[in-house]
Amino acid sequence: MPETTQGPRAPSGFNLPDFPAVKKSVIDSQIWRSIFRGGIWKDTPRDRAAHVIGNVWLHLHPVRVRPRALEWTYTWGLGGISFLLYLILTVTGVLLMFYYRPTVELAYRDMKDLEFAVTLGTFMRNAHRWAAQAMVVFVILHMVRVFLTGSYKKPREFNWGVGVLLLTLTLFLSFTGYLLPWDQLAIWAVTVGTNMAGATPLLGNEGPFGSLLGMRINNDVRFTLLGGTIVGENTLVRFYVLHCVAVPLLVGALLILHFWRIRKDSFSAAPRDPNEEKVEVWPHLVVREYIAAAACTLAIMVWSIWMNAPLEVEANPNVTPNPSKAPWYFLGLQELLVYFDPWIAGVALPGLIIVGLMAIPYLDTNPKGIGFYSWKDRAFANTQFLLGVAMWFILIYIGYYCRGPNFAWFWPWESWLTQQPPPPPTWNVFGPKGDAVLPTWLGVLALGGGGVLAIVGPKLVQRDLSGKPLCLGFAGLMALVAIGAHFIGHLAWLQGFWLVMFSVLYFYFGFVLPQRHIRSLEWPRYVITMFFVVGMMSVLLKMGARLGFDIKYVFTLPAFNLNI
Amino acid sequence: MYRKLFYTLNALMLAAFIVAAIVDYRKEWREYQGRYYRLMAADLEGKARQSADPEQTKRLRDQARQLRGTPLQIRQIIAKDLGRVDRCITCHVGMDEFLNPSLTTDLKEHPFTGHPDVSGIIRSHPLQKFGCTVCHAGQGLATELEAAHGYAENWEKPLGLGPLLQSSCVKCHGNLDTLRGAEVVAKGKKLFDDHGCIGCHQIRGVGGVISVDLGNIADKPLERIAPYNFSLIKTADGKPLPRRDWKLPAWIEAHMTNDTIEFVPNDPFAKYNKEPIAPSGMPDFRGEITPEGAKAITAFLLSQTEEEKIPIRYYVPGPPKTEPKFAGAAAHGKYVFDKHGCSGCHGLGGAQGRRNYNAMGPGQADPRTDMDKGREPALTDTVGTFTRDELRAKIQAGVPSSQIAKFNPDGPTPPLYMPAWKDKIKGVELEDLITYLLSIAKQQEDF
Amino acid sequence: MADIIGPSSGTSQQAATPEANQPPAASAAAAGPRPIAAKPAGQVSRRDFLWLGWASLIAFLGSSAAATARFFFPNVIYEPSQKFNAGPAESYGEGVDLRWLNEQRIWIVRTPPEHEQGPGFYAVWARCTHLGCTPNWFGDQGRFRCPCHGSNFNLNGDVIAGPAPRALWRCAVEVTATGDLMVDKAILQDLPGLREKAPFFARHDA
Repeated sequence: MPETTQGPRAPSGFNLPDFPAVKKSVIDSQIWRSIFRGGIWKDTPRDRAAHVIGNVWLHLHPVRVRPRALEWTYTWGLGGISFLLYLILTVTGVLLMFYYRPTVELAYRDMKDLEFAVTLGTFMRNAHRWAAQAMVVFVILHMVRVFLTGSYKKPREFNWGVGVLLLTLTLFLSFTGYLLPWDQLAIWAVTVGTNMAGATPLLGNEGPFGSLLGMRINNDVRFTLLGGTIVGENTLVRFYVLHCVAVPLLVGALLILHFWRIRKDSFSAAPRDPNEEKVEVWPHLVVREYIAAAACTLAIMVWSIWMNAPLEVEANPNVTPNPSKAPWYFLGLQELLVYFDPWIAGVALPGLIIVGLMAIPYLDTNPKGIGFYSWKDRAFANTQFLLGVAMWFILIYIGYYCRGPNFAWFWPWESWLTQQPPPPPTWNVFGPKGDAVLPTWLGVLALGGGGVLAIVGPKLVQRDLSGKPLCLGFAGLMALVAIGAHFIGHLAWLQGFWLVMFSVLYFYFGFVLPQRHIRSLEWPRYVITMFFVVGMMSVLLKMGARLGFDIKYVFTLPAFNLNI
Repeated sequence: MYRKLFYTLNALMLAAFIVAAIVDYRKEWREYQGRYYRLMAADLEGKARQSADPEQTKRLRDQARQLRGTPLQIRQIIAKDLGRVDRCITCHVGMDEFLNPSLTTDLKEHPFTGHPDVSGIIRSHPLQKFGCTVCHAGQGLATELEAAHGYAENWEKPLGLGPLLQSSCVKCHGNLDTLRGAEVVAKGKKLFDDHGCIGCHQIRGVGGVISVDLGNIADKPLERIAPYNFSLIKTADGKPLPRRDWKLPAWIEAHMTNDTIEFVPNDPFAKYNKEPIAPSGMPDFRGEITPEGAKAITAFLLSQTEEEKIPIRYYVPGPPKTEPKFAGAAAHGKYVFDKHGCSGCHGLGGAQGRRNYNAMGPGQADPRTDMDKGREPALTDTVGTFTRDELRAKIQAGVPSSQIAKFNPDGPTPPLYMPAWKDKIKGVELEDLITYLLSIAKQQEDF
Repeated sequence: MADIIGPSSGTSQQAATPEANQPPAASAAAAGPRPIAAKPAGQVSRRDFLWLGWASLIAFLGSSAAATARFFFPNVIYEPSQKFNAGPAESYGEGVDLRWLNEQRIWIVRTPPEHEQGPGFYAVWARCTHLGCTPNWFGDQGRFRCPCHGSNFNLNGDVIAGPAPRALWRCAVEVTATGDLMVDKAILQDLPGLREKAPFFARHDA
């Protein structure tokens, strides 16, 4: 229609006023001025600085940052998005609290009310659920980013530790929230999760040495967590208070500390050019933050419209779903339960992971590679860290997609309805007579000696080794051993495959890499670093031993409930 | 670029929120409730047109206008005694006592019809006191079609349709035999008693221990029914059971309308286990119980719950049972025979032994395929070969399953066996039972 | 504040010395100006006071933390009692007893003297470890057999056949001083080696 596009717009009864003029009159009004400190806005560098300093929310930022800190491909906005999700969760969570009563009789009914009878109730619950899941993911990704850019190094060691605590608390928040809908998914995920606590060494009734301290089902650490012997009324109230009050307050306090330290320690981004000018936070960083936040909010909203949060049949303590699975972010640990006793998989390993993560800045004294992604300078740290993260997510994948009834293995495309033969019988290597093949003392000797050798070994070879021929040579040797064992010792081909794969993995990550990169470290740091490296690799080895050779325990002392 | 992103994202967030609000507003119940008001108003206006009395025309028109202006809202009945909140009347508006006190409408369209039998069942079961789901099952809190009728995956008890509805009567009523409207469930109970189900199953501690206690069968959670059972169940026309019906009622019914060997096959050839495991011992009742009978028995069994808490004053006791002690030895013996569910294994009147997997039976040839031809003895054939004393000893001691001769020696142990009755059938009961048994024995040729 | 203060009633060691009985004012006057190193008995130097102060703070925080931790152990819980009195031990014959099956879902097993663990009792939870059905006891075969999916367990509760993933659970039992059998369903065990010991096996001679 050409007529309408020609000439000035036909006069209508109502014209929108000029936007800049309105904006100016609003900003210059006394009310605005009284709310936002500062004089007439002139958009000078001084004005921009004053804008950041004079605003209680913005002043957690520095006034100026390095240009690299603004690059999407440097931070990916991960930390900011994590915080935004925390805010979304706070808002939706507080709203949900208005319609939720944490009692066994009413909790599930209130879920139904939210779904069927509360305006936007379903949407709020979905948003809360999905934002929680997203927050777990983004906090982990944020940690990976900070690691890869070396941003935890001096002087930011402590803030990394705070970050690890925040990650732990994020997982705990998500876990406590899992129970509140009071459906079958909730109580059994929490039952599985808290049963691990019952296996704490010394403090749990099923943990090693627990019985020596008189731990029973009604006085151990699990009892404290549940407020009873089963997941019931007390547990619901406890988790409710933890989820809605105690942990969010703690997280909020730690977040303030976290941000304040970022501000005081300055952003880690390294200068690209030694003479470069810093850039003003207002508007450059703030705009980017807003864009990330808006995009993320939009994503959560679309996700919440598109998909409903799960709600299963009302909780019934007498009916155990088969399989009962922990929340997905703990499924890696539950998958480890297949290979290890609960006290290792549920308590010792998570504890070591947290302590190990916090120890990283104090172990990694390599001054290179701060504030940018670098592979060459930080080959050892990056490889070991990414291996750990990859293992964590692979285990989660297996636990989520490959485990069916009785936690038996089903490929993702297989139906859970098919019957399966029972798993093959397992055996123990070292332990008392009757329980294992080899005697206990030999096990103490072998495990102790092996452990010391594995830790000390790489440092003993103080010269440059050529990695590629060494690994290939070792792989060939193991292949020969496997082939030989196949014909002499009736080793199945699959077992041979597991043998070669896991031993080569160990050889590369547990010997070749440390030998090449950290053999010159001073002893205390070296030993502690190797302790964590060998610990991580032993998890892999034990999995190989179970998958390939049906070994239940490498070392067992049933009298103390101590099995490794 | 950031400026454009800023504007776009703001617009998109607004759009997403509007979509969320619309999705939230467009709940199914709004459509149904609004439609009801419109239809009722149209009905009234039609009547107003036909009416000759101008006063009445005006009144009807006013009512219609009022109906059209009624705000849509979730309506519910809070049945406090029974601990239920039922929102069914949000869509079934015609059954809302406050909106439509007569509980009848002239509308033919389904969710808007009134409740049948208002003068009878509703009079004795006021809606404000009983609610809906205590009888109809389904999910009272829900306001969407699939969820409210209990077909959603997270709801165990779907709507009791047709005769299954009557199972709810048994929750309170002991006087089934004389209860109007409970004919099907009364028939189900009779079938259950006649076919000797109690011989293997218990109802709250009364009955045999060969199979599971049915006293709380209505509470059986889906989690305890292996899902592959459902995938093997077939409907009457031989098709697989639709996923929507993978719920308890269909599962109970399938025990009478399917051959249980097919959907509880277990492991008779030791494919997954160290030793063979016989399939379900439940006899194949398809020849004896009609589909209607199966439905009736299902209705009866769905009443067997321990979970539901109904105040004691709601119960209506039935007449006490009479035992025909003085009706003659054989008649009393027949009573004992039925009371203990002997026909469960030996057939109605002891005339035909039921299937006992891998026991000896007629027409067996191939040990691998004919294991399901194993039979329990038909009493009419066998009791004649016993003396009175031998019979007494046999009933008292029973035949443990290890003593039952297997047809295929490598096959599973037969699932059914003769329990030792010495603690349960004693004295006069035992003597009368023997008299009855001998009376039904076929006369032997070479006497 | 002066660098010398009176005796602390909290430090019992000093209170035991005779000088500690002097009134504070007198001892302060008697001490007068003196080298810092000299520390008259019955008086607390600045350094000791520092230690005392900080120790008190730490003790206060520690005991508060301990009390808070204790706070999280409920003294009463509203759970159905898992313990029940199963009647006089002498009323049980050897083998499996079914009297508590319906009420408590428990089989009581009395072992004969020639049993590996000797004569005594153990209690088995009648819940199939497959899908939670109640198995039945078949005395002639010496087995618990689950009617739902055919799992078989022997008298010890071990799986012989069927889909059950693990052995039947055993509950804690004890024979009380009055000769009654107490069963606690809250304490469960299924591991061979542990389940044959107390509290999952109560030795009892006929």
